Amino acid sequence: MPIDDPRLRDLLEQSQDLHHDAMRATHASLDELVELGHDDRRAGHRADVQADSQAGGEVPSSVTTRSLLSGLPTGGVLAAAGLGTAMVALLASPAFAGKTADVQMLQTAASIENLAVATYTTALGLDFIGGGSANPVVKAFVTKTKDQHADHAKAFNAAVTRLGGKPQDQPDPALLKVVEQAKPSLTDAGAVVALAIELETGAAATYVANVPQLANKNARAVTASIMGVEAQHVAILNAVQALVTAGAADLIALPPDAAQLPAAAGSVGFPVAFFSTTDARPATEGAL
Amino acid sequence: MKIRRRREIAVSEAELTALTADLADAHHDTLPGMLAAANEMGASRRSFLLGAGALLGGVAIAGSGLTNGLGSGLGLGGGSGIAGASTRAAKSSGLTGDLAIVALAASLENLAVATYQAGIDAATAGKLGAVPPAVVTFAQTAQSQHRDHAAAWNGVLTGAGKQAVTGVDLTVKKSVDQAFGSVTDVPGLAKLALDLEEGAAATYLAAIGAVKSPAGLATAASIHPVELQHAAILNFLLGEYPVPQSFATTTGARTTSDKIG
Repeated sequence: MPIDDPRLRDLLEQSQDLHHDAMRATHASLDELVELGHDDRRAGHRADVQADSQAGGEVPSSVTTRSLLSGLPTGGVLAAAGLGTAMVALLASPAFAGKTADVQMLQTAASIENLAVATYTTALGLDFIGGGSANPVVKAFVTKTKDQHADHAKAFNAAVTRLGGKPQDQPDPALLKVVEQAKPSLTDAGAVVALAIELETGAAATYVANVPQLANKNARAVTASIMGVEAQHVAILNAVQALVTAGAADLIALPPDAAQLPAAAGSVGFPVAFFSTTDARPATEGAL
Repeated sequence: MKIRRRREIAVSEAELTALTADLADAHHDTLPGMLAAANEMGASRRSFLLGAGALLGGVAIAGSGLTNGLGSGLGLGGGSGIAGASTRAAKSSGLTGDLAIVALAASLENLAVATYQAGIDAATAGKLGAVPPAVVTFAQTAQSQHRDHAAAWNGVLTGAGKQAVTGVDLTVKKSVDQAFGSVTDVPGLAKLALDLEEGAAATYLAAIGAVKSPAGLATAASIHPVELQHAAILNFLLGEYPVPQSFATTTGARTTSDKIG
């Protein structure tokens, strides 16, 4: 979708340069993930995985044990290790590989990103978001944000694939219902922004919740590199929503007339000091 | 503090204020849970350090794969090797492993609180010209949140039987002081704040690759997005595109080799 404003176009081009730098770093994480995945398959048993972890390598054994064995009675270190070895033997089989907690979390993340792309695409089809009557900054933001979610989906699916799982090309089914129910009410910018806030908050909360749960260090790195970006989307959408709700949509501009912004607009974007996981989606929700 | 006269948006201002009050309540609901998680990390670290955790001493960021740009926005020098950094961490703070990273985080948060205070003081003294009310609210709220972050990290340290970090990251402060000396207006201050926020966010992202404790990971994961939210709003206020990258990076991350005091 073409961006008409020259200033916005320049900013987006600068952003694209930064983006390419960041993509290189993300690809490095994914490349490491491939190598480590190969190493894991070659190793084939838990003892080697534990050795990798202790050497600063991959899959911290304690975390893996916790996620796989939660709810089971513990019988000391040796008992846990024995069961762990059996679980790794299971994990080494292709049929089970796609069912690991890490893969499921990454699949769900990809499905959330797929839904975000679809939703922003729908929004851009609305005249007041992507057409002639749209605020140019909002239009540029929605266009760029859709592209960023497409990048995220690719990154999550690359991680899924490299961990032996099936990439997800479908949207999160539970969130899809929310979007479908909301569609008839998307009659103005405020309604679209409210829906976007809901999706972005859910995505960020899910990734914040997943980071300490992911056993694979590189899967964690990819997830962590995305969660803050979703939180930034939330911050800007919160500010846009506040201005739209206040009837001050004309103040949504780059650069803004800062002197004219209401005082509360300075803080409405970041309401809490610690990003909450309350809205996190279940880890398996999008693992189809 | 000089406040520019602004266009009247009476209804919207009331609505926004009410909304902000609701959000502040939400924040205070979140804070106790986060402090509990941080304390849990402190308690687990205390027992951990008495046992096999000693093996991890001096390898705070070993294996993180991070070679960072170290405060690039503030003109700080390039990063040293991770292994070297972690060795020096033990000398600098007397802490190793996760706790050295926690101390670094607390010192960065303290520096952010102090820098925002210096900015607020300069604005109040009329040294920055007219200050838009939204900028005032931003600075006050961001400062308050950094204070909460520092409290969370210090809760980990005291929970582990260590002293809270009351000082700041002196390595970064040197550059901040230098930059602050040439700040004469609100955009100048906002750019300085942006560098600090991006550096903090990068450090947390690096920490997520290094911290072993799940509670520590959870705490870092809950703070990193908030620092990036601060950065997004600052970018917006500066007229820059607010979410310039699809992926956050560790460029500009600090290491535990920084001097704290």
